[in-house]
Amino acid sequence: MARLELNNLHAEVAEGDEKILEGVDLEVESGEIHALMGPNGSGKSTTAKVIAGHPAYEVTEGEVLLHLEEDEFGDEIEIDEDQRSWNLLELEPNERAALGVFLAFQYPAEIEGVTMTNFLRTALNAKIEEREELFEDDEGEDEEEEDDGFETSPMEGPADEGEVGVAEFQQILQEKMEQLDMDERFAQRYLNAGFSGGEKKQNEVLQAAILEPSIAVLDEIDSGLDIDRLQDVSDGINALRDEQGTGVLQITHYQRILDYVEPDHVHVMLDGQIAKSGGPELAAELEDKGYDWVREEVYGTA
Amino acid sequence: MSTQVHANLTEEQVRQISGDLDEPEWLLETRLEALEALSDLDMPDVIRTPGRDWTNLHELDFESLVDPLNAAENKDQIGPDEVEVLPWAEAVSEHEALLKEQFGSVVDPQENYLTALSTALFSTGTVVYVPEGVDAEDVTIRTEQNSRSLFNYTLVVTEESSSVTILERQSTGEKQDEQYYSGIVEVVAGENSSVQYGSLQNLSEDAYNFSLKRGDADTYATINWIEVNLGTQLTKSGVSTELNGDSSETQIVGAFYGHNDQHFDIDAKVWHKAEHTTADLVTRGVTDDVARSVYEGVQDVGREAWDTSSYQRENTLMLSDESEADASPKLIINNHDTEASHSATVGQIDQEDLLYMTSRGVDPRAARNMLVEGFFVPVMEEIAVDELREDLEELVAARLRERSE
Repeated sequence: MARLELNNLHAEVAEGDEKILEGVDLEVESGEIHALMGPNGSGKSTTAKVIAGHPAYEVTEGEVLLHLEEDEFGDEIEIDEDQRSWNLLELEPNERAALGVFLAFQYPAEIEGVTMTNFLRTALNAKIEEREELFEDDEGEDEEEEDDGFETSPMEGPADEGEVGVAEFQQILQEKMEQLDMDERFAQRYLNAGFSGGEKKQNEVLQAAILEPSIAVLDEIDSGLDIDRLQDVSDGINALRDEQGTGVLQITHYQRILDYVEPDHVHVMLDGQIAKSGGPELAAELEDKGYDWVREEVYGTA
Repeated sequence: MSTQVHANLTEEQVRQISGDLDEPEWLLETRLEALEALSDLDMPDVIRTPGRDWTNLHELDFESLVDPLNAAENKDQIGPDEVEVLPWAEAVSEHEALLKEQFGSVVDPQENYLTALSTALFSTGTVVYVPEGVDAEDVTIRTEQNSRSLFNYTLVVTEESSSVTILERQSTGEKQDEQYYSGIVEVVAGENSSVQYGSLQNLSEDAYNFSLKRGDADTYATINWIEVNLGTQLTKSGVSTELNGDSSETQIVGAFYGHNDQHFDIDAKVWHKAEHTTADLVTRGVTDDVARSVYEGVQDVGREAWDTSSYQRENTLMLSDESEADASPKLIINNHDTEASHSATVGQIDQEDLLYMTSRGVDPRAARNMLVEGFFVPVMEEIAVDELREDLEELVAARLRERSE
């Protein structure tokens, strides 16, 4: 089990002092699905980016914590008592990923020249390696110092191929792609390069499925999808929760995806804060009445 | 701008070089004329903006760099049986008529100071002769420089409906504080023949390099260049094709990776002089540390060049704030029946790309290296010579591993 906890989170744009988040409180636990809704500019995407560690935002107050239980990463990784709570704001984005945090981007980067397969296998292996380092016992420190510096001499060939080998990874990738009904040719294409909007979103879900996060933040994963692809993406999200126990924070403008991915909790964000939280019925109410109703209820003005 | 003339270069030295190679009188005369012309010739053109030459060749101390009578090298000149791959002296004795016809026919020995210097002083070279109808792969010319200066010359002649793939590489054997390598390459592609010429320059980072490669494409001929620069502290390299025959084609693919204080000045040029000709110029380069790159690309569409297709793109990726990159793509159109494009970009690693990768668990260093390797892929995909592509991939990866952070 894992729990992501945002406490009184304040953030602004790093260059400039435009305040965007003004005290966000939110908790997402393994196996739960949370929908985060709200009008444009309310701070939903910024919340996601701050969780992932985007350098364009500066946190001025509050904290982002990740709590892990002993068995979060299975038998191989032993999590001592003093290693169960992490302040994500002190960690690099790749370290946050190693701890099980995943962000699906609203606009995934298009990366020419790097194949999906190569990237994902590198990411999976890097995550396993980083995780081992983060949870290394104190006794392990001496060992680490010894192989400090280059893992291989700079003039030698590339480092070994990592925990998950090429053949094993192909197998994993193929299975996950079949589950998501994705064309196997995707594997050899360059990362998101020339992908349609829908293909990019599907690819984000595929990556989550392979990296098996404890907490996944999905930033508008549903926007721009046709109904077939919305169905595929939704199946993928439900599988994350049902098969891997992932906790999902789903940021969306629309009620539509919530018909396929039923949230346990719905939060409404207004002006950089969570203005209202409730169950799935809240989403339906928003669909009918819009956000002004929440504004009126919370602040007494429309 | 006048250029210094060598006080220490003499006619006797040129006579000795030519005599050692058993050259005929006309060739000696060509060399002596080039020597004599030095005082009137300028350095090769470089891009200039007010107050500044982008590449300063005048600062090079040729007086101390050039040591004409002590040239030393290690050389391989290999090719399949059906094609002649001859060391210069052998070519002189076996193919005098061919040399008399083609030597200096594509690159004017007196085009500039450095071509004239090279013509006067070259002591080694290779002639590749591909007879009519022959298809030859895997011609390899490898030069390892062991002396202070080395002047090299390469001539490729393909007869009608033949094809050849050539890989030429330069490296440094015995290193000195400063060394100078000069190479001229002429390609004469006969009717309906095809030449793929790959060059991998990986000289010592203390070396200076001047090279000029030019091809003349006859009707239906194709000349494809691959120009890779990794070594030297200063390189001035020109690669060009004259599309003289109807329906001729050329591709100029370039790649460079400069680090430390390396300086690369690369120019790619194509002259469309006949009908239905096609050119595709693609260069990608990386600059790191305080390295500097200058790229100039010219597509010149002549008045008679009906139905021309001409494309050019250049991209430079800067890995450090202190490195510099300049690019100047030029398109000169004198015939309206032309489809053409040209573009150049200079940029840094995209922070959003980097975050995308690190947020999936890849550490920042590995992510950046993947982005750099990926940046070269569009160029790699154009390299049909496997050995050259694999070596370039490995050299790029090794240079990335060398980075301290």
